[in-house]
Formats: sequence, structure tokens, C-alpha cells
Amino acid sequence: MFRRSFNRFCAGEEKRVGTRTVFVGNHPVSETEAYIAQKFCDNRIISSKYTLWNFLPKNLFEQFRRIANFYFLIIFLIQVTVDTPTSPITSGLPLFFVITVTAIKQGYEDWLRHRADNEVNKSTVYIIENAKRVKKESEKIKTHYAVRDTIELRTVESIDNLRAAIECEQPQSDLYKFVGRINIYSNSLEAVARSLGPENLLLKGATLKNTKKIYGVAVYTGMETKMALNYQGKSQKRSAVEKSINAFLIVYLFILLTKAAICTTLKYVWQSTPYNDEPWYNQKTQKERETWKVLKMFTDFLSFMVLFNFIIPVSMYVTVEMQKFLGSFFISWDNDFYDEEINEGALVNTSDLNEELGQVDYVFTDKTGTLTENSMEFIECCIDGHKYKGVAQETDGLSQTDGPLPYLDRADKNREELFLRALCLCHTVEVKPNDTVDGVRESSELTYMSSSPDEIALVKGAKKYGFTFVGVQNGYMRVENQRKEIEEYELLHTLNFDSVRRRMSVIVKTQSGDILLFCKGADSAVFPRVQNHEIDLIKVHVEHNAMEGYRTLCIAFKEIAPDDYERVNRQLIEAKMALQDREEKMEKVFDEIETDMHLIGATAVEDKLQDQAAETIEALHAAGLKVWVLTGDKMETAKSTCYACRLFQTNTELLELTTKTIEESERKEDRLHELLTEYRKKLLREFPKSTRSLKKAWTEHQEYGLIIDGSTLSLILNSSQDSGSNNYRSIFLQICMKCTAVLCCRMAPLQKAQIVRMVKNLKGSPITLSIGDGANDVSMILESHVGIGIKGKEGRQASRNSDYAVPKFKHLKKLLLAHGHLYYVRIAHLVQYFFYKNLCFILPQFLYQFFCGFSQQPLYDAAYLTMYNICFTSLPILAYSLLEQHINIDTLTSDPRLYMKISGNAMLQLGPFLYWTFLAAFEGTVFFFGTYFLFQTTSLDENGKVYGNWTFGTIIFTILVFTVTLKLALDTRFWTWINHLVIWGSLAFYVFFSFFWGGIIWPFLKQQRMYFIFAQMLSSVSIWLTIILLIFVSLSPEMLRIVLRSVRRRSTRNPNLELPMLLSYKHIDSGYR
Amino acid sequence: MKQQQLPAFRLQLSANEILSGFFAIGLFCLGMGIILLLSAKSIREVEINYTEKCATCAKLREDATNFDKECNCSISFYLPQKMEGNVYLYYKLYGFYQNLYRYILSRSNIQLVGTDVKDVRNCAPFKTSDNGLPIAPCGAIANSMFNDTIVLLYNFNSSTHIRVPMVRTETAWWTDKYVKFQNPTFQNLSSAFAGTAKPPNWPKPVYELDEKDPGNNGFVNDDFIVWMRTAAFPNFKKLYRRLHRIGNFTEGLPAGSYSFIINYNFPVGRFQGQKAVVLSTLTWSGGSSLFLALAYLVTGAVTLLASFSMMAVHLKLKERKTFFLQ
Repeated sequence: MFRRSFNRFCAGEEKRVGTRTVFVGNHPVSETEAYIAQKFCDNRIISSKYTLWNFLPKNLFEQFRRIANFYFLIIFLIQVTVDTPTSPITSGLPLFFVITVTAIKQGYEDWLRHRADNEVNKSTVYIIENAKRVKKESEKIKTHYAVRDTIELRTVESIDNLRAAIECEQPQSDLYKFVGRINIYSNSLEAVARSLGPENLLLKGATLKNTKKIYGVAVYTGMETKMALNYQGKSQKRSAVEKSINAFLIVYLFILLTKAAICTTLKYVWQSTPYNDEPWYNQKTQKERETWKVLKMFTDFLSFMVLFNFIIPVSMYVTVEMQKFLGSFFISWDNDFYDEEINEGALVNTSDLNEELGQVDYVFTDKTGTLTENSMEFIECCIDGHKYKGVAQETDGLSQTDGPLPYLDRADKNREELFLRALCLCHTVEVKPNDTVDGVRESSELTYMSSSPDEIALVKGAKKYGFTFVGVQNGYMRVENQRKEIEEYELLHTLNFDSVRRRMSVIVKTQSGDILLFCKGADSAVFPRVQNHEIDLIKVHVEHNAMEGYRTLCIAFKEIAPDDYERVNRQLIEAKMALQDREEKMEKVFDEIETDMHLIGATAVEDKLQDQAAETIEALHAAGLKVWVLTGDKMETAKSTCYACRLFQTNTELLELTTKTIEESERKEDRLHELLTEYRKKLLREFPKSTRSLKKAWTEHQEYGLIIDGSTLSLILNSSQDSGSNNYRSIFLQICMKCTAVLCCRMAPLQKAQIVRMVKNLKGSPITLSIGDGANDVSMILESHVGIGIKGKEGRQASRNSDYAVPKFKHLKKLLLAHGHLYYVRIAHLVQYFFYKNLCFILPQFLYQFFCGFSQQPLYDAAYLTMYNICFTSLPILAYSLLEQHINIDTLTSDPRLYMKISGNAMLQLGPFLYWTFLAAFEGTVFFFGTYFLFQTTSLDENGKVYGNWTFGTIIFTILVFTVTLKLALDTRFWTWINHLVIWGSLAFYVFFSFFWGGIIWPFLKQQRMYFIFAQMLSSVSIWLTIILLIFVSLSPEMLRIVLRSVRRRSTRNPNLELPMLLSYKHIDSGYR
Repeated sequence: MKQQQLPAFRLQLSANEILSGFFAIGLFCLGMGIILLLSAKSIREVEINYTEKCATCAKLREDATNFDKECNCSISFYLPQKMEGNVYLYYKLYGFYQNLYRYILSRSNIQLVGTDVKDVRNCAPFKTSDNGLPIAPCGAIANSMFNDTIVLLYNFNSSTHIRVPMVRTETAWWTDKYVKFQNPTFQNLSSAFAGTAKPPNWPKPVYELDEKDPGNNGFVNDDFIVWMRTAAFPNFKKLYRRLHRIGNFTEGLPAGSYSFIINYNFPVGRFQGQKAVVLSTLTWSGGSSLFLALAYLVTGAVTLLASFSMMAVHLKLKERKTFFLQ
């Protein structure tokens, strides 16, 4: 829990421009100035979409924006207004059902969001009001915090007495930027001005670590906080499949309109001869004669549309919704996603995107907490080229001072101790004693704290070897050595770490009066500053460790003679005091001091990767996905993690676009341009044009990885409006597309989203997936097509805003390779099947118009028209789309290449679509003409009785129902009892229903069309034979295809085919050396 | 279930199973085709189109005002082979659209089932007669009922003409005749239809359709019921009479000279249609269904061909597989 004091006051004149002024504690600064209350927004966070009041209109509006829903509404209205062959109920009822189900689903999801918002908004905070601490709900807070230079203010009262005003910029989304100024009016009227920077700003959602409470001033509130500004608007995500559905819908709508237009035209052509227009046996009614011809044509057109409207199935949307909704349970039920640590499994926040998991092209992942556990561990060190493995001794901790160290051979004792002392001294770690501590200091219970987890790991590592850092007292660093004696070192100077130098040093004075400088830093930063002969010994180890993906640091030291120290000391103090160019000066001094050092050794720290992170990334790579790591971390750390998790292989050639590579030149843009073109040239040489074969040609080519950092990225994306900027962008994208792995470091949250958006809008609009665990990943999670949250340590913001949340990164593998693949195959098949079965259904109806004078006579009975999609053929496909596993889950997860087969929405492309459409057209034609020719026979019965049009329709309908159901049976690879039940059950139900429907004179029906049609039909042997034959003929192309496919599979079984050679990281160890 | 690990059966057919399946289907189709072909061959069928042959009558009927003038027409034909067994007499109409949307709707089932003779709700445009009485049976279908009378004469020799005995019942579906169509319950059929008018095109009211047989009169008249079952296509046959196998005709229709005496009432010229009479014998599968026989034969042949080629491919692959192993 953290508490902050917030002051709810503020005054100011500008609204959005310029700066805002916040008065601390609501106290006017001076009596003379009139106090003007300024309006700031309240502290409420809103991520929900609807309110109680606007839900109905807004939701209905959103729903009818869907092409399909709108279309059905139109059809319904036509049926209501125009005299049509089918009743309005046939389309009105399903539409109402779909709308209601969707509204309930979306309402429920929004209610969940409301609840989550409330959770945040109602969390308690304390506000100082008139020197009292008042408990308030968070949403009532009015603006936000900053403290500095007010160290003496430790109590409620003193805060209350503070008279200050904070001037700061208007809310901005950049997390790492804050410009402000605080004017403190102490007793004297003169204001003391201090500058405020990002280091003084606490972001919303931040957690206090080293202190229990903190007093602050609210600067930005609610939707104006930087975190909230980094949220993206919640827009409804739509999957690629849904887009395909819409495309198909338009095709089918076109078919429908064409059919209706053809029929209407032909009708009037046909009716142009008077005896066809009005034969004596079918005279027109008075009303018909009077109707205006154009209007009649129009209503005829609409009637045909209604007659054929079943070609676009309303029930498909119900089935798709149900499939998605029910299907998503498989994810949350999956035991493999269950994590025992947090006692939770996967979480599905939206069911709309299940199939999108099978379509991912780009994976954007956060690093810390996602790829790594965010906990560092000391692995080994080397001293003068002797390797020390630091794992074995944990059994009896510290007492084992002289115990056998697991070293290969041992360095000189002095050097060893020097190294360990260096580890203990050269850091900025603070010690937090345990609460219970007094007197007896149990050093093993010390808690170390530092902004850098590496340092803690190093200090802990030293502890394993017997040197314990106990703490700082009065400027003395206290270290307990192997003999349990306390050594004290006076800390003279700390030369802080910075990313340019990439090293840090301390200057200490030993008890004996020697002045020592200890330096630790990246190898590249240290090696040039030490003696050459020392490097060779260490270098091997460092390189080896880096290869292993460990974070390596080199340790060096230097003795400073007292005279020298005097000079150094003076220079340092001078530099620190400088008001102008302070940083440059400091750097210069540091540079001078950190020379001629002696290398003692190197350390290897592991930012522990999450369990199976490397395997997962490897699998994703093998599945043809491009993995991008987007992190706020610095480049070196990120890079080593990328090596560790096999994002970069040893043979990956890295292209770097970072501040480091670019700043070497004076004109950044020129240099950038130069690099970009150079890289592009290189890549184009490697992959001549064929972007398509990139996935396939995985192994034959050199792999490229790209590293880019935030500032360079913004240089590329935002570089001025001059002609070059667009060019940069496209070159950059070309490079990105050719790289198998990309690492983006030093990213702000919005930049992450920017990258995602950029990739999303690439040619061919690839499907992106983002995975992250922290609040800073939310924007990218929301931006990408699929957002995955890790239920990590950094709060629940990510998982709440994600579409799916899993406990660990490793779960991504099964989520994509198995679940995603299956969902995609299922829904793609579902969609194709639905269009197929309805084309089969309606085509005979269309053909029949040619034989009934285009009079809109329906071929099938109204009950069949309505029930076909709802009852007879709906359940088998639903069961299929829930249960089908055309390939085993185990096979799917173990062979990632299978994922490539469905990439690029493969099953919903033009080819498969045409196949299904032609199949449907073929079958519809076979049904119709097969039965048509049968009906040319004098009699179908041995007793000479004749059959009418309804029998004709019923025969076709029977063949239709059996064919489409059996077609599905042919497609089903995974027969569970449910499949059996619904497939055979549906057929049985059809037969039963037909008997039943025809068995009774229904009192509520005007027409008893179906009376005994079905039973009479089955009494004819010819009809039986026809039904069987036509079913077989209709299915034969499909059967042939299945047989041919299995033949092909058998023949292509090639023993040489293996997984693409992605070096498994387990082999790399032995491969080295 | 939750882990998607229901016990499931994966259909994995071996090549032998597939091949034998295909062979079986192919053989079945071929056999069926041959049987159907043979039975279709055994059927005798005669169709005589009398639109042209009765040209004078046809011309007379072109004009609707001549509705009350009788017109008879005789057509002779020669039957070279006798027609054995049951012989059925059909009339066939060409170009008559019984499947027009509005036409099919234009009937009242409530009326036809005998519940309410005066229910004419859906019968537009033939709901009521000119003097406002409800029409029974109402609607376009009933109004346009086929009303030619066809009599078959057997010309035993040039002077003796025997009228071939025909049965006019049991030509409609049993369920139609006994459930779907019911006369209103009254002692006297004509009084049951009191207060209704005959359809405008009919020469006589519905209760005079078959005055000799009360079980075949009114709504339950077989000819009427057969007509009311609307045909699927504009060219259709409807069962008219069955041969009554007595006397000379116990075996069927003997070979020889026949003539149809047709009382020509039904106008087809006005819609450019044609009329024909059809005499046919039937077998177990119904009428002469050359289509079904051919379809089975072709399917069987193609399936067998496909199975043979599949077998060839299969054997070839098998060979290569062993080659791989060596």
C-alpha cells in the first residue's frame, strides 16, 4: 500500500496551453493575489464504453453497423412491407436473437470493465486537509504530486504549512519527460525555485518500494495522468476472419442481387407475351392490375431477394458468436495454462479474437517480466582467468568460509579477495535491515535494495564467497570478510553509472589508508582502460558468458597515490559544483580517472529467463513468426536477453540503428540515411525480391537481426517534413520486414504502440500480437490485433486490458500453435461451410424459378426454409467448430511449421472460397437436375400415382440435408461422441420432423402443403434410389479429393525432411570452444 | 472435454479399405443400373398428342364465349404390342404452369377439408361469383381443373368397338382422399353446397363430378384431388384412369387398333399449350425411368474406373516405397 498526500487545489489561468500552476495544499501563495479556482478534471479513470443510459442506442448503432445485421434488418423490413413468399418471422426472429445475444455479451463485457475501473477508482488514499489525514476514495482526488528539496517536511503538519506553487507543463503522454518548477515560499516572502524533472514525478499506478509512505502533490489527475494518456481508446477489435466473412458476404450479396435481377428481368421478358403474363387459369387480382408497373418490378425484385436471402445465413452469425463464446472456454479451462504460483489459469477477456491467434505474423513482446522473470541471479565469475562457478554453496550459507569453492583452479588468494571486495564495494546498493533487527546482526537476513537488480545479484554473489556487504555507516562502507571480520572503507567518491560510459566506479580509502578505485562496467567500456595482457585471460570468459546470454561485467581496480588523489578529488568536486556543462565536465574527469586500471575479473549475472522462454521463441520462429522485442531497457541488457532467449542466434548478423552508431557522425540524419541504405542494400542482396519465400528460405540465408532504440526510431518516424522522411520510413520498413528478429530498446509505451501500428499498416496488413505484463505495455496491447497480458508481478493492468491473459510467456506457444491453429481451422471451415451449405440450399430454388415462370414460387416448404439453418444443419457444424482437431494438439505444439500452413488467412483465400463455391454450385445443380430428370418419368410409383411440386422440393431438400451433413462428416477428423450424436442426431431429427410435420393437419396453417408428402415420398423405390445416387454423386468430388490427398501425403513422405535447422540453444554450449 | 481430450475416433482408412469401398459402390451402382435398365425396357408406353389432331375443337375453345358448345374428337392409333399388366391412362399438359406462385396459393384448405364450405379467404381472384356467392371449390387451381373426357375404344374389328373398361378411383393419394379432402357433412351433397357457386369455368357444380359414385363425388372426386396436387413443372402428366382388367383386358391391353374419343373442353391454345394422352404400364420402380438406369450405369462405371486407377496408383506407390527402403 502506498499513501500519498494529495492536495486538491489549484489555480491558474490557461486551460490547455502553456503551463499549469498547482498550489500546494490549497493555500494561496500570497494574500495579495486573488485566488482563482481552476478546474482540473477529477481522478476518475474510464476505460468502459457504455453507460447505463447510452447502452441501448449506442450498442444497437454499433451492431447495425455490421454489414450482416444491417442487411438482415433490410430484409426483415422488406418482408414486413412487401408481399413476399416467406413470412417476416423467418428472418425477424433470428435477427432479434442475434442482436440480443450480442448485446448481452457486450453488455456483460462492459460491465466487467466498469467493475475494474471502480476497483481502481475506489481505492483508498489519504489527503491532507487542514493538517489532518483524511481517507478518500481515489476518484475524488483532484491532481497529483511531486516532492523535492523538502526533506525536512516529514509530518502532516509541516506539509500543511508548506506554501508552494508548482508550475508544470500541460499533460503530455511522454512518460520520461516532465518539466516543472516548484516555488517554495518559506517564511521570507522570497520564493525559492527548484526545478522538477521526471525523476520527481510519480506516475499513476507506481508502487513504492523503499519507503512506506510519501507525501506528494497531485499534478495531473484522472484521464490527464500520463498513464491514462498512454492508454489508447478502446476500439472494437475485429479479426481477419471477420473481415473475410464480410468480404464473402459482399460476394454473396452480389450473387444474391444478380440472381434477383436476373429473375426479375427474365420474369418481365417472359411476361411480355400476354398468355404468359396472365393465362386464363391464373388471372390477376384487381389490385395487381392497378399497380404501377415500375413499382411492381421493384417489389418483384425485392421479393426475389427475400426468396433467395437465405444464401446469406443469419444463423451463421449466431453460430459464429456461439462458437467463439463457447470455444474461448477451452483456453481458460486449459490445465497447461495453469500456474501454481499464482493459482490461476489463462483468462479470456474477449472471445472475438480466438481465430486471430492462429494468424499471427508478428509477435511484439515486452522483455522484463515477460521474457524474463525480472530477477537476477549471480551465475559465475572469473578471477584472473580462473573460473568460479557460484552455485554449490547455498546449503550452509555463510558459515562455510573455508569450504571448497567450486572453482576449476584457484587464483591467487589476494586477487580473489580483492575481487570479492570490489564486488562488495563497487555499487550503489542500500541495505535495509530487517525490522526485527537489534543487536545481533544476522547478515543473511539483510535485504539489499537498488534500482538495478544486477547490483543486488552481484552483492549477493559476493556473499556466497564469504564477503558480505553490511551497509554504509557515516560514509564508511562495511564489509564482512571471509573471516567474519568487519572491514570498513571510507567512501570517497562514487562515479555514477551512465549509459555512455557504461561503467561505474567508486573510490574508497581502506583502513590502512590506501586509496583504491574499483570500477565495473561492460567489457567494451573497461577493456580499453586496462593492461592488454590482462585482457586475454578474461576475454574468453566474458565472451563465452555473453554467448550464454548472461549479463557480464568486468571488474577492474587501480591504486591511487595520495598525491594523485588530491588532484582527482579537487577535479571531481569542481566538476560537481559546476553549473554549466556539468555533465561534460564530469565525464571528462571520470574519463581521466578511470585509466590504467588493472583487470581483476569478470562476473556473469543471469536475468533469469522465464521458464522455456527460449524454446517458445524458437518455436515461434520455426512457425514463421517474426518476434520483436520492445523494451524500455537499455540496449546491452536487452541484447543479452535476446541472445539468451535465442531471439538472436550466434550466426545472426546484427544491424544496429542506435544512438551509439548514429551519434558518431555530426549530422544524425545523414548518418541514419547512410546506414539505412547500407542495410537495405545488404538485405536486398541476400533476399532478392522474393518476400514470399522468406519464410520458406529460413535456413538457407544468413539471418539478420535489427536493433533500434527509441530516439533513433523517433528520428525515423518523426524526422521533419522534408522529402526524406517518408523515404526513411519505407526503407526502415523494408529492413524490418527482412529481419527475422528485431529488438527495440528504450521505448516509451506510446512508441511501442507506434511500432505496432506501423507494422500493422504494412503492405498485406500482417496480424500483430503483443504480449506484455506491465502498465507500460497496455498501449501496445491495445494497439495490436491481439493483445496478450502476462499475469505478472507488475499489477493487473496489462492482463485487464488484454484480450487474453496467461500466467507465463511459455504459454504463448500452446496458445498460438495449438489453440490458435485449431480455432482458425475451425472457424474458417465453419464460415466456408456455412456459405457452401446455403448456396447448395438456394441454388435449386433459383433454378426452379426458370420452371415456374419466375413467379417466386418457393421450392421448399416454409418450415424447411426456416428450419434448415436453425435445426437441421446447425448443430453438426457447431460441434465440429468446437471440437475438431484435424491434427493432434501434441503434434501441433511439437511441429511449429504446421502453423505456417494456415498463415495469411490461407483457408479463407480466394482459392478455397472458389472451391467451396463451385462445390456448392455443383451439388445444387446435381440435386436439382437429378430430381428434375427423375420427374420426367410417367410415374414414380408402381401404382401410377403422381407427385406434385412439394414432393419435388422435399426430395431435393432431403438430398440436400443428407449431403451437407455427410460432407461435414467427411471433413471431420476427430470423432467424439458429441460429433456422432449431433451428426446422426440431426439426420434422424430431420426424418422425424418431416414425418411429424407431414403427419398432422395443422390447424394453424392455411395450406396443408406438406401433408404426408414425406411418407408418400419414401414409399417410392425410385425416389429412394435417386436420393442415394444423388447423395453419392454430390459427395464424390469430395471423396475423391480426400483419397487423392492421402495418396499425395503418402507419396511426399520424404525421409530427408526435417525441422528447419534452428540451433537449439542446448547444443550451443558444446558447439562453442 | 475441458482439455479437448475427449476420447475420439480418428477416421484412418487404409488403402485397401478405401479401394474395396469404392469397388463395392461401383459394382452396386452398375448392378442397380442394369436392373433398372431391364425393367425400364419392359415398360410399354404410348403417348398421343391431340392438340393438332383435334384442331377444330381447339379452335372452338380459343374463344371463351363458346364454352357451352360440345366438341368431340376421335383419334385412332395402333398398338403393335400388347401392354401387359396394369395399364394407366394419363393426360399430359404442355406449357401449363401449375406452379405459379399465386396459382398455388389460390385455394382454401379449410373449404376442401369440409370444415367450412364458405371459407374462400385465400382464393383470390376466384373467391366469389358475380352474384356474390362464395365459390366452392374456390381458387384458381380448382377453377382451371382439367375437364376433357377421355374414352378409350378398342377396335376389335372395323365394326366392333369395345369401350375399354376404366376405373376412375384410386388415382389420388390415399391420405388426400380420406383426410385432406372431405365433403361437408350433410345428408345430401347438393344441399351441403347450398349457398355456394360453381367455379366460373366449370360446366357443372362440384357435387355433380361423379353422380354415379357418391364416394367419388364432391371434393373427394379423384380427378379433382389429382388436379389439386399441383404439378412441379409446366409439362406434366396426371393420372386419369386405370384399366379395369376384366373380359378381354384381363391380361392388359391386347395389341390392335384403338381410338380415343375425347370430349374436348380444356382450352390450351390460349396459352400456347398442348395436350396429350399417355397409356403406360408400370414396374416396381414406377414408369419408364431410363434416366435413373443410365445415371446408375454411368456412376457405376465411373466409380469402377476411378477405383482401378486408384489401385494402379496405389500399387505403383507401394513399389516405390519398397525401393526407398532398399
